[in-house]
Amino acid sequence: MTASVARTLPADPTECARLLAEAARDRRTVRICGSGTKSYLGNVEATDIELGTGRLAGVIDHVPADLTVTLGAGTRMADVAAALARAGQFLPLDPPHSDGATVGGVIAANSNGFWRARYGGVRDLLIGTRTALADGTIARAGGLVVKNVAGYDLDKVLVGSFGTLGVIVEATLKILPLPEKSDGFVARFERSADAFGVADAAVRGASRVEACVVERSVDGAWRVAVQARGGGPAVERAVRDARREVASRRGHAAELADDIGRMRELPSRAIDGALVRVALPLAASTAFAESAVRLEGFATLVVDAASGVTRVHLIGDDDAVIRDAEALLLAARMVGGAGRIERRAEHLRARLSTWPNRPNGDFLMRRIKDAFDPAGVLEPGRSAFA
Amino acid sequence: MRGLVSLLGPAKVLGAHDDLLLYEYDGAVDTATPDAVVLPESTADVAALARFCHEHAVPIVPRGAGTGLSGGAIPVEGGVVVSFARMARILEIDVPNLRAVVQPGVINLHLSTAVAPDGLYFVPDPSSQKACTLGGNVAENSGGPHTLAYGVTTNHVTGIEIVLSDGTVVRLGGKAIEDEGYDLVGAFVGSEGTLGLVTEITVRLTPLPEDKRTLMAAFPTMDEASETVSAIIAAGIVPSAIEMMDQLATQAVEAAVHAGYPLEAGGILLLEVDGPRDGLDDARARIEEICREHAASEVRVATTALERDRLWAGRKGAFAAMGRLSPDYYVQDGVIPRTRLPDILRLVKDAGARHRLRVANVFHAGDGNLHPLILFDSRLGPDELERAKAAGLEILTACVGAGGSITGEHGVGMEKNCYMPLQFQSSDLAAMRRLKQAFDPDGLMNPGKIFPTPSRCREFAFASTAR
Repeated sequence: MTASVARTLPADPTECARLLAEAARDRRTVRICGSGTKSYLGNVEATDIELGTGRLAGVIDHVPADLTVTLGAGTRMADVAAALARAGQFLPLDPPHSDGATVGGVIAANSNGFWRARYGGVRDLLIGTRTALADGTIARAGGLVVKNVAGYDLDKVLVGSFGTLGVIVEATLKILPLPEKSDGFVARFERSADAFGVADAAVRGASRVEACVVERSVDGAWRVAVQARGGGPAVERAVRDARREVASRRGHAAELADDIGRMRELPSRAIDGALVRVALPLAASTAFAESAVRLEGFATLVVDAASGVTRVHLIGDDDAVIRDAEALLLAARMVGGAGRIERRAEHLRARLSTWPNRPNGDFLMRRIKDAFDPAGVLEPGRSAFA
Repeated sequence: MRGLVSLLGPAKVLGAHDDLLLYEYDGAVDTATPDAVVLPESTADVAALARFCHEHAVPIVPRGAGTGLSGGAIPVEGGVVVSFARMARILEIDVPNLRAVVQPGVINLHLSTAVAPDGLYFVPDPSSQKACTLGGNVAENSGGPHTLAYGVTTNHVTGIEIVLSDGTVVRLGGKAIEDEGYDLVGAFVGSEGTLGLVTEITVRLTPLPEDKRTLMAAFPTMDEASETVSAIIAAGIVPSAIEMMDQLATQAVEAAVHAGYPLEAGGILLLEVDGPRDGLDDARARIEEICREHAASEVRVATTALERDRLWAGRKGAFAAMGRLSPDYYVQDGVIPRTRLPDILRLVKDAGARHRLRVANVFHAGDGNLHPLILFDSRLGPDELERAKAAGLEILTACVGAGGSITGEHGVGMEKNCYMPLQFQSSDLAAMRRLKQAFDPDGLMNPGKIFPTPSRCREFAFASTAR
């Protein structure tokens, strides 16, 4: 293992591509870093080089009437939000680590929040990329327009690729006008069936909510948070419908404080034990959640009821954490879902792999990886199949 | 040929010349006769066929309903055309998970019809939805008028089963919103049959909107109609559809469908907002107001389902109605940022005039996806199609120059593969080739599509260096 890591901050895409070509030539491994908020992901080992995207930052192009924005990969999400808000617009992504995370990191890690079912996730909002590759070239995929089927959709392959194929240097995304009104509530129940009943009605009903999240934490209560944003009448209707569901279950709906933020930031807080993240078929969430809370190491559960993405934080005895975490991934697979150990305590890294099981089509993934990074220098060990 | 019959049986293989002729064309302008046509009935049939073709180095060209508009189903380099007409079952409708599992030959509209009793639908609605197949939609990443708010095919497919060119069967994704590892479902959708054959598709079903409002607005010129589109979007309204039509298209449609569009209008917008009932009338009123601010001579709101269907029938029947104007048309599919609509539409008109051809426009204005229908008459000689193609190339060049794309939903196919270098540099194309290489190392899947081929693109390469 190398003792010293060479840190480099390319000033522009061309320099970034040149650095990658040199690293590939010299067989020096590269770790790619936005602001480092999600460096816990994957099975990555120490690398020779740490390449930061900090200088590839800023709004490159923003035409408000086209509802698109082109950003440097190193732009922080908080800066994106501020820039777009000046035009009365927003990027409808609410990933964890929301303020510190960079655009490139959010794309590379396919980092989504609770707005996904309403506005689409990273893969749905991303319409174009420029990526520095290990052969020193810069490849553009997609473009500036919202509809485009010219050639392969390489943008999709980059979403969630964890930097294993190249360094995303620039991205164009769809944006939206800021909603005029926001409202919501959080309701507390003793029984999981009540919380999921409210969530289910909100997700499947005619009125459209922006976020619908079920949480269970150490206090033993089941909470469901519902938020709607948009035009006045639609928001009032959505919240009214959801509150009616709460009342019919004899629940009490309280005003939202930062409940949704707290639920979203579970990955930031889960520094001990293990955080399991699974994507489930929608109807499988309830049973999965009910069995998760019975586990010995159970601490917190957060279910995005609108998309089926569920996180379970496990703490306590190492052996129990490992056993429970692997059991949860297996349970997710059995119901047709998939998942990963999103985060685990440093001392568990060696014992608990991020992906204990291989994903379907992993041989194709390996071929793609080899085609883009034949020297194998980009993010070794980071992804599911490398 | 004999090998195929002994492998699959005579009922699944067509080889007679007359039969093959039925498979030499699709919805576009190019033709080529296949060496054989195979009609598989199962994934196992498809895998056996792929292994056979792999062993004998025979190209494979998948085909749905043949409604494609870029020559995607044309066996330009010969080989076997695989028709999915007999793999056309809806395998599962899973209401609790909001998913359906279908075979590739299922017709787009049949799926929405089948799930309507459950209050659900499949969002992508290409104009050919009464005929086109979901396998074809996956191959082309098809769109349609209602994709403005809800996305195109790739946003509504969560799982696929595919057969690779060597016969390997791979299942990717499933009913969950995502799978681990690279997004191979996302890579495959829109790959135009060049990465493999899709044999099963898991699609997202969406709750039908509670209600909708459909409006038709008539403007003196296309400029005012175009500016209205930008103004509506800028006002924070994202309609589920904004379609535009010029006067020539309107006249053809009225003659054929009698949708009630005013013949004297220079430009027509067809707009729809949908969702929860609350707020829909506010949005409709705001749209009406914006239309009138932009000199709309008439704004008509559909008050009954019948009126709405009539307004839409005009739009959906527009391509078919072109027969009233001209025996042939060549349709382009370029995309531009919607703020560039007025100047690019003028350029479209000029390009037609320069080549002495009429151009009718019927398109998805909301997402800047143009469909100039360049009218020509092949009976007057081969020069007509050549001029139509030349006008088309000028239009696409302008689209790319405006920051857009050569195709928004029809695909590249064999029709525009020579134009790919307009939009992409060699390093971009090289990256795409790496993906191709990973899925289909022997290059047997639908060859001659997407990527420029030296044999067919020589002329174009010469033209572009000469400029």
